[in-house]
Amino acid sequence: MKFQLKLSHKGIILVSVPLIFATIFLAFLTYLLNQAEHEVEAQIRAKALVTEAGNLQKSFYDAGVAMAGYSITKSPLFADRFDAILRQIPTILESLNSLVGDNPKQQQVLVELKSIAYSALKILKEAKNAVATDEIDMAQMKARSVYKQARALTDKLKVTINDLTSDESMLVNKKSHQIDSKLQVKIFLAIGFLINIIIAVFLALFFSKGIGSRIEILTDNSIRLARGQELNALVSGNDEIAQLDKVFHAMAINLQEAMEKERAIVENAADVICSINSEGKFAAVSPACKELWGYAPDELVGRKFVDLVFNDDLAQTIQSARQVRQSKVTTSFENRTFKKDGSLVTVLWSAYWSERERSMFCVAHDITQRKLAEEAIKASEERIRTIIENMLVGLLIITPTGFVEAVNPASERIFGVPAKELLGKHVLNLFSESKFMNVDNEYDRKQFLETFFTKSLNRVGEFDAIKLLNTDEDFPVEISLTEFNIGGNLKFMANILDVSERKELEKMKKEFVATVSHELRTPLTSIRGSLTLLSVGALGVLPEAVKKVVAIAERNTIRLIGLINDILDIEKLEAGKLDMVFDDLALSNVIERSQESVKSFAEQHGVNLIMAQTDIKVHADGDRLVQVLVNLLSNACKFSPKGGNVTVAVVDIPNWVEVRVIDQGRGIPAKFKNLLFQKFQQVEASDSRKKGGTGLGLVICKGIIEQHGGIIGVESEEGHGSTFYFRIPKIKEPSEINKIFLKQA
Amino acid sequence: MKVLIIDDDEDSRSIARLSLESLANATVIEASGGQEGFDLAKIDKPDVILLDLLMPNLDGRATFQLLRSNASTATIPIIFLTIKGIFDEFDELKANSNVLVDLIVKPFDPTFLAQQIQRILI
Repeated sequence: MKFQLKLSHKGIILVSVPLIFATIFLAFLTYLLNQAEHEVEAQIRAKALVTEAGNLQKSFYDAGVAMAGYSITKSPLFADRFDAILRQIPTILESLNSLVGDNPKQQQVLVELKSIAYSALKILKEAKNAVATDEIDMAQMKARSVYKQARALTDKLKVTINDLTSDESMLVNKKSHQIDSKLQVKIFLAIGFLINIIIAVFLALFFSKGIGSRIEILTDNSIRLARGQELNALVSGNDEIAQLDKVFHAMAINLQEAMEKERAIVENAADVICSINSEGKFAAVSPACKELWGYAPDELVGRKFVDLVFNDDLAQTIQSARQVRQSKVTTSFENRTFKKDGSLVTVLWSAYWSERERSMFCVAHDITQRKLAEEAIKASEERIRTIIENMLVGLLIITPTGFVEAVNPASERIFGVPAKELLGKHVLNLFSESKFMNVDNEYDRKQFLETFFTKSLNRVGEFDAIKLLNTDEDFPVEISLTEFNIGGNLKFMANILDVSERKELEKMKKEFVATVSHELRTPLTSIRGSLTLLSVGALGVLPEAVKKVVAIAERNTIRLIGLINDILDIEKLEAGKLDMVFDDLALSNVIERSQESVKSFAEQHGVNLIMAQTDIKVHADGDRLVQVLVNLLSNACKFSPKGGNVTVAVVDIPNWVEVRVIDQGRGIPAKFKNLLFQKFQQVEASDSRKKGGTGLGLVICKGIIEQHGGIIGVESEEGHGSTFYFRIPKIKEPSEINKIFLKQA
Repeated sequence: MKVLIIDDDEDSRSIARLSLESLANATVIEASGGQEGFDLAKIDKPDVILLDLLMPNLDGRATFQLLRSNASTATIPIIFLTIKGIFDEFDELKANSNVLVDLIVKPFDPTFLAQQIQRILI
């Protein structure tokens, strides 16, 4: 195609070319018709002119005749006729004038004609007058003359009229020429029409060749596409058809790609994609079935779907398949499917029934692992639920504002009401504080909640709970709060343990221990008293050997007493109930009493005690402080070499006072330093037998010092002695207290 | 100096008696129970009473109340023979009493007992 014309352009050409031709013909035809009309008009006028000229000539002739008659007869008949004719002539002249129009030649002839006519009229009138005056001769003569003149004039007129009408006559004779031009028009019309048809046919053929053949290619392409054959090459041109073809090719490529992708997806899908025909047989199966079920696709095609279904699931599967057929949308169902090796997989089928293809299209997703995981989760949930529901500890889930959201059965038992009585309640309702706090008052609730959280968040707090049916019934509980998040919502889990029984047991144990220790003490009092009375000679002087034995008995009795005391103290320390009586006292007094206590013990070990002097005052339990210092001094004496020194030093540091017990013993290995303040720890296991002691002393000391708000520790290097120290707060001097007081005031 | 020992354990009484007689030169009278002790205290007007806490029938606490409630015995200093472990209210008792109340821990050192008694009565 040489011209890159669009289809619409071609259409315009196809219509407009014949139209233009038709228009040209029409214009030309109109021109010819106009001309013919002019010619007709000219002929009519020429005819009229010839006629009028004839009339004029005839009038003159008639006037002459009438004149001749009149002159002879004098009959008024001729006179009237003559007058009538004379009156007629100007009218005829006027008529000629109008017919001549703007033809200059004819105008000139007409002017000449008029002058001749008027001259003739004048002669005719003179002749009549001559007749009227009876100058017959005259009249006759005149009449003859006039007649002659009139004849001459008439001849002249005749010539002139001939001149005047010669053109017109020519025109009238033109008729044959007219016939020629009409024929021409007809021929021309016929030729034009023929050309027009030829052009139209040519164009139509020309364009239809370009359009039709290409549309055929397009049609062929669509058939090829449907058959999956390769398309024809792109059609030539740049018009709509070429565009359409281009788009069609692009579409075909896209379609091809999409199909390839789809095939790739189906073939590489982890899930089995298959179609099952109306007979329930596999029509097509994706390769994934090899991986998932152990079957090659070919092995499955043609086999019945139900053959693969586990017997127990058969009925359910058939029912599901029916539902799929009835449903218009994709429907899912699960079943267990046999693999080739006979093992089972759990499969989730997503199926869709196509009525058009009479097939069920399925995606089979292996959910064996998911199923197992779900079962594991279910089992785990079941286990946890069982634990929660059967545990002895009460569980409350509470909101950050303190409202109960969930409870376990143990909580129902603990508070003595069914769960619904607990749900939605504020925790304040559950505790004895509700007796003096208003459970409906938000401030009170907040107050309680603060205590509740402070005491039990991530630790164990003790509270007095109440039985909800009988709020007078208090019982001790231990509560531990744990913070956790459920879907971004902060919650607290409260573990509630009813410790009534334990408290009861503790009380019983305490009483038991107290009673036993008291009962032990009573005989020990007698033994110890007896031995001491003997050893101090209160009952007379004893022989040396007896004294020695009595001393052994006394020493071991004291040790036994110490052991009982320590065990009792430990018991109290652990319960946090070591009795303490705080008082302002002079540290020197504590030191003196301690020295008094260990004096004989030091002497026994051959150790020198060197005690510091001080006037520092402390706020402390004097007896307990003595207990600590005695313990440290005893230890120091025990582990000091004979003749060694045990020194008590007092160090004054701001706000604190530090008491240091320095020995020259074997020192303590670094690894034991931290163990020293734990129960039943001694540097050497044999120490307790060799050196005495229970291994509880330092633990008690630590407890006592810590209850004073102080610290206890040891500095030691193996082989270079040890320094045990404790540090407790000093009393502020009155002046200092005043200062603070004044400052505050 | 007259000391009344109220203790249900005979051995304990004997040791206390021996200690006080030999080491503090005291005159000792003994009662084996609270009621007997109260009766003796009314009659003999001791300078100090050593009172055991755990006794059958009338125990140390009850005896203490009885002694305090009676005008003739209300002003006699009383030393309990026991341990704080089973006598939680001792500190309160001591603090609220106009008359001397003390405690000597069992099993006591006879010499310490004698010293304490002497110290009280000086």
